[in-house]
Amino acid sequence: MSSSRDAILAKIHRNRPGGPALPDIHAVPFITFDDKFAAFAGLIRNLGGEAIWLADGQSVADVVAQRWPKTGRTVDLTTMQHEEVFTPHDWHDVDVAIVPGELAVAENAAVWISHPDNIFRSLYFLTEKLVMVVPKDKLVDTMRDAYGQITLREHGFGAFISGSSRTADIEQSLVMGAHGAMAALVIFC
Amino acid sequence: MKADNIHHPDAARAFLTDRARASWHDQAIWFVRQKRDVQAKQLPEWEELRKLAEQIKAHTLSKLDDYLIQFEENARRNGVTVHFAADAAEHNRIVHQLLAARQVKKLVKSKSMLTEECGLNPYLEERGIEVIDTDLGERIVQLRHEPPSHIVMPAIHLKKEQISELFHEELGTEAGNNDPTYLTHAARANLRQHFLSADAGLTGVNFAIAETGGVVVCTNEGNADLGTALPPLHIASMGIEKIIPKLEHLGVFTRLLARSAIGSPVTTYTSHFHRARPGGEMHIVIVDNGRSDILGNPDFYASLRCIRCGACMNTCPVYRRSSGHSYSYVIPGPIGSTLGPSRDIKKHGSMAFACTTCGSCSNVCPVKINLHEQLILQRKRAFDAGTLKPAKKMGLLAMRFLTQHPALMDAGGKAMRKVVPILPAFVKDGTAWSRPGRDLPEMPEHSFKELYRRRQEDKQ
Amino acid sequence: MKVGLFIPCFVNELYPHVAMATLELLEGYGVDVAYPMEQSCCGQPLANNGDSSGACDAALRFTGVFKDFDYVVAPSGSCVSHVTHHYPWYIADNADFQRLQPRVFEIVEFLQDVLKVDKLPKPVHFPHKVSIHQSCHGLRELHHASPSELMIPYQSRLERILQLVDGIEIGQPERRDECCGFGGTFSVDEADVSVAMGRDRVAQHEATGAEYIVGADPSCLMHMGGIIRHNGRAIRPLHVVEILTGRGGAA
Repeated sequence: MSSSRDAILAKIHRNRPGGPALPDIHAVPFITFDDKFAAFAGLIRNLGGEAIWLADGQSVADVVAQRWPKTGRTVDLTTMQHEEVFTPHDWHDVDVAIVPGELAVAENAAVWISHPDNIFRSLYFLTEKLVMVVPKDKLVDTMRDAYGQITLREHGFGAFISGSSRTADIEQSLVMGAHGAMAALVIFC
Repeated sequence: MKADNIHHPDAARAFLTDRARASWHDQAIWFVRQKRDVQAKQLPEWEELRKLAEQIKAHTLSKLDDYLIQFEENARRNGVTVHFAADAAEHNRIVHQLLAARQVKKLVKSKSMLTEECGLNPYLEERGIEVIDTDLGERIVQLRHEPPSHIVMPAIHLKKEQISELFHEELGTEAGNNDPTYLTHAARANLRQHFLSADAGLTGVNFAIAETGGVVVCTNEGNADLGTALPPLHIASMGIEKIIPKLEHLGVFTRLLARSAIGSPVTTYTSHFHRARPGGEMHIVIVDNGRSDILGNPDFYASLRCIRCGACMNTCPVYRRSSGHSYSYVIPGPIGSTLGPSRDIKKHGSMAFACTTCGSCSNVCPVKINLHEQLILQRKRAFDAGTLKPAKKMGLLAMRFLTQHPALMDAGGKAMRKVVPILPAFVKDGTAWSRPGRDLPEMPEHSFKELYRRRQEDKQ
Repeated sequence: MKVGLFIPCFVNELYPHVAMATLELLEGYGVDVAYPMEQSCCGQPLANNGDSSGACDAALRFTGVFKDFDYVVAPSGSCVSHVTHHYPWYIADNADFQRLQPRVFEIVEFLQDVLKVDKLPKPVHFPHKVSIHQSCHGLRELHHASPSELMIPYQSRLERILQLVDGIEIGQPERRDECCGFGGTFSVDEADVSVAMGRDRVAQHEATGAEYIVGADPSCLMHMGGIIRHNGRAIRPLHVVEILTGRGGAA
């Protein structure tokens, strides 16, 4: 096995072409948004999701209850005491997962999810409805800004999640709810 | 796996016999190109972004072994096992050994063109492992026992009626229910059970970050995430060219990938895997399989910049009118038509000629690969390797001769202008030019050269 | 200024009136034009089929025939593009070619960039709607217009030059720059795909309501013309120089 490794690397070294220096990706101005929330909220509507700017006195629980009056099993990772499970499969019947998002991106309605207190990331993908809670001051313009700020906190895992799971594999018809969450709600608080 | 003897013009001719269907195929895929344009137009920096992506990839290829070593070290530090495979056989052997050692009975896979290239599914199935492709389009073609016809939209060659029929037989859905939402959710319910009962998950890799030792997988469905979050074993298979130097470079590539691929600002899930889930293990198999040969070829190494967005297919007027199954290599369309011939010019020579050299592919490519020029250069290899049909080769040699002997060329042209008008209709209609429904040009009395000569004489 | 007229081989045989219109147009602007009789094919069919030896010889021949002219002008974007953009693959080091390369122009380019014309030699009245056919090599190699794939400001040489014609109405087909499917020997190697593409292209041009398809590449017009005639359609292909010299209406 290691002989393949060394042979491959040696051959690459022999064959590698010349190339330019790494460009400075920060030298080019990227798009900015006057109203980042408006951009985010407008986009996510077409991606199987919804964005809410929490009003004074309103709580995440209020918004979720208003949006889905009747819910099944709910897991809330934004609170200190949340349910623990022993295998990633134990989340299989979760209806609503409320999870903290580190930041949100205006250009594509993505939220960075990487939570140090969560053991099994399967929660994000097994749940029927995914609620991502993001601080109001953590909304950036583009992915370049986002990559400058994110940290991988969750057992080496982190994901940008933009809207709900979807597919267009049958005749290019867009269908929400391919394998992951059927609905996504992003609450800025 | 694809049949061994696909010749593009013949397969395309067969595809085009159903004109309504072919026209639907063209329009459905053109729609994706239009969605890409809408997204690209929204970014004032679009062309600058392409330039950055090109430069990052070109730089990486110039130091590829260094970055691979850096990636390997960092991945190992994260607790991930890294394997190197020289070719498809070694890749398949490594994957099988990992699965067999853990008594894996069921493997769930997310989309990976590399494992298609390696023929992993049949290899594992012959060894008693159940392989479930979980991307909806890939699942559809897997159940139909056929290869994907597009690298991003594997089942784009199928109509919903065909998928409904397939799901009725395979998943027990209602007969005649062709609603895409109904069919998708039926597949969701079925595949959810496979995710929950799988012993291992295998993913492809969109980007491998040298600086962090992690891999990034982009999907809209979430299948790569479920397939790696549930089973205790995650295997990620990647070609050597998937490396990018730094995490921040994803701030360029994730902005280009989904916009180019499907006209969406980003994929639903852009997932960064640096370790296995708690209690599990993660392995990365880095595959060469001919790539280092391409790296050493000055005409073609730029093809290794490819990020597999499929935009070149969507814009290719030939691809849209012939479908992916008309191409002999596992990757169809413009990028496949350089990668395939690079691998085996004798087998995939026809792909290099399935191109009008319109150049649209080179312009949509987010990493600015000179695709249409590469196809012309592949034709040189096809010519030199003797893959041209004898009649065509003869024609070219005649053309070569006439080009150097204008008087003979003029005589030939004159003969053509005199003979074609008096040919019987069945001869005219039977020429390669006319057969599919295109008349021969009208033949003028005189060539320009004749007219010019007379004009000069009149002047004097 | 001495201009060498480069008439592509198939234009010489099949479209002598396009060649003549090019000549007259240049002469109309007072340009001294000569047509070297010993020219043949630029070698693109050889190059595009991988015959690099034949393509190289053709490039050398072309260079020899035209090297002493101040400019070389042709009514075909594709053939010009082969000379300016692909000859370097074969004869980049040839000193004659290096001097020649920047002086080879497609006719519309020459009128706009070298002669910088702002009117036609003789006023032309052409009260018809035309649909612009932007041929691929002119578009994506010679940058005659902004390709729809690139996010750059829009411009079109053909539209600009046609604005010098009185009474003309200019239209654009849906998918403004999709390939017509000619592609040189592609048109016979892949005849079915070629014709399928051509049929779609003709239909898109027809849908603009235009009476004429106007382009700067006789090869694309030949291909679409064959499909038009086969299907008995009314729309007619015209080379831009036919309109600029006032011959268009007669076609």
